[in-house]
Order: sequence, then C-alpha cells, then structure tokens
Amino acid sequence: MSDENDELSLLETLDHLLDRGVVIAGEAVVSIGDVDLLYLGLNVVLANVDAIIRTSQPKRIK
Amino acid sequence: MKLVVIGAHLERVDIEPVAEPLAVGDLWLSGMPVADDQPLGDRALLLRVAQTRASLLDRGTFIAIRYGFTAHASSDAMTKCAAHLDRWRRTLQECRGMVEMTLKVAAASPQARPDRHDFASGAAYFRALHDATQAASIDPLFREVVEKNLTPLAVKHRWSNRDNASLELALLVRAESVAAVNDAGAALKRDFASVPFLLSGPWPLEVFADDHE
Repeated sequence: MSDENDELSLLETLDHLLDRGVVIAGEAVVSIGDVDLLYLGLNVVLANVDAIIRTSQPKRIK
Repeated sequence: MKLVVIGAHLERVDIEPVAEPLAVGDLWLSGMPVADDQPLGDRALLLRVAQTRASLLDRGTFIAIRYGFTAHASSDAMTKCAAHLDRWRRTLQECRGMVEMTLKVAAASPQARPDRHDFASGAAYFRALHDATQAASIDPLFREVVEKNLTPLAVKHRWSNRDNASLELALLVRAESVAAVNDAGAALKRDFASVPFLLSGPWPLEVFADDHE
C-alpha cells in the first residue's frame, strides 16, 4: 500500500509541475521542444487517475 | 548556464538558499541552474525541480511557473515576464500566506477517451476531446458534502473538468487552514469509501495565479 501511495504522490507532483502554473506566452512549448516530455505530461495525467482508482479499491485478502 | 524557472516571488529572502534568485523588476524569480545543453525532459532534473518547488513553498507563498520556462539573465527574464509583473505583484500581495490544495475526483461515469485515428482532422479530434472532458461528472452527493464541509474552509474555490475521467476542485486556503482541510479530507475518505479521490497539497499558486486578468 505504501508503494502505491508513493507512486500516487509522485504522479500528482509531476502532474502539478508539468500541467499547472503560469505559462510564459510562447515560451513553455518552445523551451520544452521535447516531444517525449509532452507525452510524459499526458501519460502522467492519465496514470494519475488510474492510480487514484487503484489505491481506492479495497485489498482482497488471500 | 541557464536557469530552469520555478516560481515568481515577492521577496528575495523567500528564495535563498533553496534556489537561485533572478530579479525581474521589483519581483524575483526562483530557479535551478543547469548547463545550457541539459535536456529538460531529464527525469532526475524533473524530480529535483519538484523537490525544490516544495521546499520553496515552506519559505513563503509564490506563483508557480509552468515547467519548461528557462532564462539566462535578468534582462532575458524581464523581457519575457514584463507583461505579467503588475498582475503577479497584486496576486502575491493579496495571497500572501496562502497556498492551494487540490481535490481530484474520479468521474462517476468516465467518458471514453477519443482516439485520434478515428478523426479526419486535428480540430475534430480536439472538439471530441473537449466534449468528453466536459461530459465527465462525479457523484452528486459527494459533491454536495464537499461543498458543505470543504469549500467553506477556503478563501476561494473552483471546480474544473480536467479530463475525460476526473474533475478537480482547487482550493485557495490560508496556510494555517491546511490541517483543517486535511481533516475534512479524512472525513470524506471515511464517509465515501467507494468514491476514488485524492486530496493533495499544499501547492504554490497555480489555478489562482491568473485571477487578475
């Protein structure tokens, strides 16, 4: 459970770093200029919601 | 060397020695110095910037700058930021001592994410993406309880549809109210065990940084 919470916390942190805050006009996209990073941004957003749902599900006891 | 800019601050003392200060008029940018050829997509750099961002928030309220903005010198930064400075100053003065908290809630009926290959044009694809985002909604009872117990703790709050699978509530709160917000979040977790949500923060001024357009 702790690993999942750590993952969730990391995803949320990256989501805020990459997808929030003031954009300096014409600057962020130009500076990033790195397609991989843009994909990382999208994947972080999607993975974030998946992780929230996963960590909210009760654990099955074997 | 270039500076990966992290935030805009009212006081230089809120930046040092956590990050490097760069003057822009009477305000200050915080940043992390890196080599000119350092790729911004580097995972280790992202994590270091995220850590520094969190440490800076312990020092004082600041406006978050979206990752990807770099500057070489004050004159360079001033040219790029001049249009923002008056608004940033007002925001920083009005929101001194405040932080943001975020409640992200998985949609009760998530919409299918459109597939780019199903659309003839990018415009049609983006329209479908927008429609799917706007159609996402959350459990109305959960929202009602959030409005009753959580939003009154905030100075300002704002709901937004983030994507096809979640909605988000941004809360602007006084730093001393963070514990009360977390307590309200824990109560929500107890009362709505079946609703997947995440309460996170404190964050710098992100959503409410552009309120003075």
